[in-house]
Amino acid sequence: MARLSDTNAPDRGIVVRDLRMHFGETLVQRDLSFHVARASIFVIMGVSGCGKSTLLRHMIDLQQSAQGDISFDGQRLWTRDAAERAALQRRIGVLFQSTALWSSMTVGDNVALPMQLHTRLGAAEIRDQVAFKLALVGLAGQESRMPSELSGGMKKRAGIARAIALDPDYLFLDEPSAGLDPMTSQRLDTLIMRLRDALSLSVVAVTHELPSIFTIADDSIYLDDEQRTAIAHGDPRELVERAEHARVRAFLNREPLAERDDEEPIHGN
Amino acid sequence: MPLAAADDSALYRIERESDTSVLRLSGDWGRAHRLPTSEALAAALTRDGAVRVVIDGGELTRAHPRVAAVVHALQQRLDRRDVDSRTRALPESIRSLMTLARPAPQTASVGRGPRWITRLGARGRGQFDAVLLVARLVGNAAAATPRLALGRAQARWPDFVALVRETGAASLPVVTVVNLLIGAVLGFVGAVQLNAFGAGLYLADLVGIAVAREMAAIMTAFIMAGRVGATFAAHLATMEANEEIDALRMIGVAPFEYLVLPRLAALTLMMPLLFLYAATLGIVGGMIVGDLVLNTSPMSFLGRLEDAVAARHFVIGFVKAVCFGVLIALASCHMGMRAGRNAAEVGRAATRTVVVSIIGIIVIDAIFALCTNALGV
Repeated sequence: MARLSDTNAPDRGIVVRDLRMHFGETLVQRDLSFHVARASIFVIMGVSGCGKSTLLRHMIDLQQSAQGDISFDGQRLWTRDAAERAALQRRIGVLFQSTALWSSMTVGDNVALPMQLHTRLGAAEIRDQVAFKLALVGLAGQESRMPSELSGGMKKRAGIARAIALDPDYLFLDEPSAGLDPMTSQRLDTLIMRLRDALSLSVVAVTHELPSIFTIADDSIYLDDEQRTAIAHGDPRELVERAEHARVRAFLNREPLAERDDEEPIHGN
Repeated sequence: MPLAAADDSALYRIERESDTSVLRLSGDWGRAHRLPTSEALAAALTRDGAVRVVIDGGELTRAHPRVAAVVHALQQRLDRRDVDSRTRALPESIRSLMTLARPAPQTASVGRGPRWITRLGARGRGQFDAVLLVARLVGNAAAATPRLALGRAQARWPDFVALVRETGAASLPVVTVVNLLIGAVLGFVGAVQLNAFGAGLYLADLVGIAVAREMAAIMTAFIMAGRVGATFAAHLATMEANEEIDALRMIGVAPFEYLVLPRLAALTLMMPLLFLYAATLGIVGGMIVGDLVLNTSPMSFLGRLEDAVAARHFVIGFVKAVCFGVLIALASCHMGMRAGRNAAEVGRAATRTVVVSIIGIIVIDAIFALCTNALGV
């Protein structure tokens, strides 16, 4: 089932093995195994409440209530050594669902803070880097704006600029295009793909926006809320026709599911 | 090559070819602790009147995004100085990154900032508007009070009851401790001084009048400003930040009636009650100290108190307590509802409430002192 990319050695990129997550006594997902290839975009999809964001939070080490193994370029995430763990976390950039920009700081300071904390670069050196990160996401010259002055799409892009502040190897996006208009959403997709290419980023995106999934995903898994495990794995453009499970096809085709009449139609948004 | 150079000397060098400066980038920029800044590079490259700059990336040992950032900023600076720049032998990934970085869109020039006289005027207007806002709040409060009394305001009983509990019952422990101790301190200071003149008998006068007329109301008001005022302000500021107040407006609820009135009513009702409680405890504190230090029995202390402390002292304290309650409620709601929409503003609203309340309490107290003095009560 694991579809390892040919161009990558198996231990490059992110490898998740036999992951089992739970909230207290409640099982969220089990038996998750997949590989996120270097410089590719991996999409975690599924209906609301299936555990997509929980999986993402486990992969970035914000939640640890799980058994199994996650490794980044061969380095295990759940090591005992706190310093090693922190060093690995610095190679991970995250765009949070609500962007989580620090509202009392300017956009420029939001992007600068990770560099101020984790590098020895001086103020002028950081200024060059911040200006470039903002230019990369199309927010050139917006350093002195406050997050509250930005539109939804601009906030997302500022969040991405902050996520790539430390030139990470891995970028995690939690619902990047949720709540955006189709044009803004499409531009964001283009930005994510370009960043993947230019920075050789391994991108993991949680989303249920179908247009986005079909545009950006190189690979994907579908987390099922009933079986509580991944029931499909592969390129969503192929899964849309060939997925084994009807629920996955229904999800990707945005169709109601006939055989589950006890349920409402699967939501596409 | 050193692992991480302490300076940026290993990262570039500048060569000169007639009117062209060549910037040769080298080494591993990702591991460096210092980077050259675009500002310094631009100055160095154009120092001898060079009109062309070539940025050469052929000696870089690693294509790191930091290189792209500095080259991007450098080229923009050179552009502004009308110096022609081009790149050569930059790694492919850096070139593709640089094409992704878009320059800032041309924004319409807003010209220079306003002149000082304009700024001064704007500030004055701002202050005036703030005063107007307060006036409107007070006016609203006065206008809505009859509706509240008739039970026709858009406020919910459960909210009001919870607020009364929060301001009243929940404040009792701290009010108890503070006022008992204040009474005791007054009693102790008074006992020592009065005893020096053989006037220990008058301790009940001193403690009774000081507590009933001044200390109980003021100390309780300070406590309420810090405990309740700050909470109200932070709560309303958070609601404002989350657009919850806008949501109330949209369902046709007047934020003033729904949020401010219950708080105003709760504090205005609870403050005088807390004052009576606080005054009693303050006097008890003084009485205990009198018993311990001067051996005045509680019975003789109370007997003296009855003669010395006229009811008007309690009335003055009581009226003050009502005023303080109104002040704290209005200050906290005002600060909370006009706070900006971010996390820091929530804290600032709470702080401002406490500061304004404390100053207001002292000012009101001084006004009372002047008036009662003029009236001879």
